[in-house]
Amino acid sequence: VPSRTIDSSARFTVVGNPGSRRVAMFAAAVRAAGCPEPEVLAWRDVLRGEYALTAGTLLRVDSPGEDDEVDRLLRGSDRDATSGSASAWNSARVEGGATWYRRFTAALRTLAAAAAATEGCTLLGDPEETAVMFDKRRTHALLATAGIPVPPALDMRGVPAGWDDLRTRLEESGMRRVFVKPAHGSSASGVVALEFGADGRARATTSAELIRLGDGRVQLVNSLRVRRYTEQADLRALLDALAREPLHVERWLPKAAQHGRAADLRVVVTAGRATHAVLRTSRHPMTNLHLGGARGDLDLVREAAGPGWPALLETCERVAACFPGSPMVGVDVLPAVGWRSHAVGEVNAFGDLLPRLTGLPGGPAEGLDTYAAFVAAVLRTRAAARAAEGPHP
Amino acid sequence: MSVRHLTQFHGLPVFDLPGADEAGELPAADSVAWRVRFTWGGSEDFDRIWERFLGTVDTTKVTALVLGCWGEEMYEDTLGPVLRRVVDAKERFPALKAFFLADVTFEENEISWIQQTDLAPLLNAYPGLEELGARGGHREFTPVAHASLRTLRLESGGMSAAVVRGISESELPSLERLELWLGSEEYGGDTTVDDLAVLLSGVRFPALRHLGLQDSELQDGIAGAVAHAPVVPMLETLSLSMGVLTDAGGEALLAGQPLTHLKKLDLHHHFLTDAMMQRLGEALEPAGVEVDLSEQETPNEYGGDLWHYVAVAE
Repeated sequence: VPSRTIDSSARFTVVGNPGSRRVAMFAAAVRAAGCPEPEVLAWRDVLRGEYALTAGTLLRVDSPGEDDEVDRLLRGSDRDATSGSASAWNSARVEGGATWYRRFTAALRTLAAAAAATEGCTLLGDPEETAVMFDKRRTHALLATAGIPVPPALDMRGVPAGWDDLRTRLEESGMRRVFVKPAHGSSASGVVALEFGADGRARATTSAELIRLGDGRVQLVNSLRVRRYTEQADLRALLDALAREPLHVERWLPKAAQHGRAADLRVVVTAGRATHAVLRTSRHPMTNLHLGGARGDLDLVREAAGPGWPALLETCERVAACFPGSPMVGVDVLPAVGWRSHAVGEVNAFGDLLPRLTGLPGGPAEGLDTYAAFVAAVLRTRAAARAAEGPHP
Repeated sequence: MSVRHLTQFHGLPVFDLPGADEAGELPAADSVAWRVRFTWGGSEDFDRIWERFLGTVDTTKVTALVLGCWGEEMYEDTLGPVLRRVVDAKERFPALKAFFLADVTFEENEISWIQQTDLAPLLNAYPGLEELGARGGHREFTPVAHASLRTLRLESGGMSAAVVRGISESELPSLERLELWLGSEEYGGDTTVDDLAVLLSGVRFPALRHLGLQDSELQDGIAGAVAHAPVVPMLETLSLSMGVLTDAGGEALLAGQPLTHLKKLDLHHHFLTDAMMQRLGEALEPAGVEVDLSEQETPNEYGGDLWHYVAVAE
């Protein structure tokens, strides 16, 4: 177990949804580190601009997700956001990502300005980097430029307007198996694994449920069941609806499998080091746990990957280096069939909700969960900075 | 369930031919089943990989060969030319005993979208072949006469009746294991119970010891035919797994000829009730038959309709 920096003078504040698992886990990690109970700043107050930051606080921003009221503030129409009861809000709907992104990044920037104006307040995470992570197009471009292996993306210049356009583009690009992702989505929301077979047949695999409203409009709702669409009318409705908002389209690289289930990895990089890794497997192309994914056996992966394993972790650390102002990033890695090579799928600003997962053996977070590793890393950085400043009174 | 990549083949561990840029010593040519496959993001196309395989491995000693992915685009008739390379290279593989075509899983291509190709040219080129497996949408099988083939395993989400007929018309005097995944009608599985008559007659393949007629939407009808089929007494193991087997099929098996001589009856992935599972177990297990009743499925409900599904279709 690595030595820990006990610093009872370090005061944390977490922006999150009070009562959520994330806030509870962070508070537990802060207490375990010997620091005072963290202050909780509710996302709903941040979004309404009703808050004041405490001087001298270390400010962690956690996910605004899994809260209907906050979701309505971020994604709802202006009418939704200001009036009406939360009960009428359908947080499962797919659309609204562009609005969500605009409001979310604006709130982060305001928060950063408030932190800068508050004495001794340190924001743990660069809002501009978080903004990149919540735009799959920008993330992909950033990583590609840095020479990190990523699946080839479809050129989206002159953004595809819908099914016909997308289909033509894919054909021209010779891409017959792709993931279509809302640029600002998370948790597989609206993600479609799209493939074209012989004779123009196509098949979409997605957790989005196509709902045709009485007036002919189409609504997409996230469900817990992965389903397939093969009829032209359904495919058109699905992709036309998705294309109303910015999309990122990239090649579906065949993933390695464990016990016959497709596998990918979430690797958490804390303060530049790959500290935690979890294997996720599924019988579907998307491995998210809420869609039937399950944790797989990491030891078997290490064995199968051989020299590919340290290379994979190194890639994740290179990804994190693209986000130097973010003390933690969650990197989704797509291992190729055979485990010998890999590509990076996504980078998650809030990718460390991995309860009970302890750090990789031999690494700097061995024995620590992701939140404890984050707190330890922040305290180390703080101690180093103080030491550099010279003795404190 | 889903189809998995092979890890063992013909009693040997499957070993991937390393990439051009990968170091490391190769195993002895006859100690593994070699899998040759295209790698996404790699620098070589399948032809280059195949040539490298021929150039770096002593193929005269290779006994088992598996072809996996053969390109980014595995559609239309792209598999035929790949198989032709193996056929054309027959002089290079004098020891080849086992071959598998298209060890591909759903992350690479859907089984129903793999357009399989006629395997007769391969069998004709390799008279010493003992085991042949292939995965995908099987559409044709030119009847062959082959003295050595002992195992034939065709995995499919939908197999054409023409394939069943082609096999039925073949001369395979050594055939001990025949495994056919018949699949779903939606994906080209148009075999009827009548089409299986020759296979069930027992006259065609005198050495047959294992028969698998699996993954069928007509599993009950197949069970009904099997219950009185002359082939059954010569079998040691029988598989009616992966299909839409319901209590009607279970009842037919119980009412038909004795199955107590079997070592194993594989019914995994089925729609039998608990009561029927118990009856089958009670009827067969005391006689020493291993009955695989795992993967009891429940039909999906869509708008009030119940949908029974085979294990592998699309």
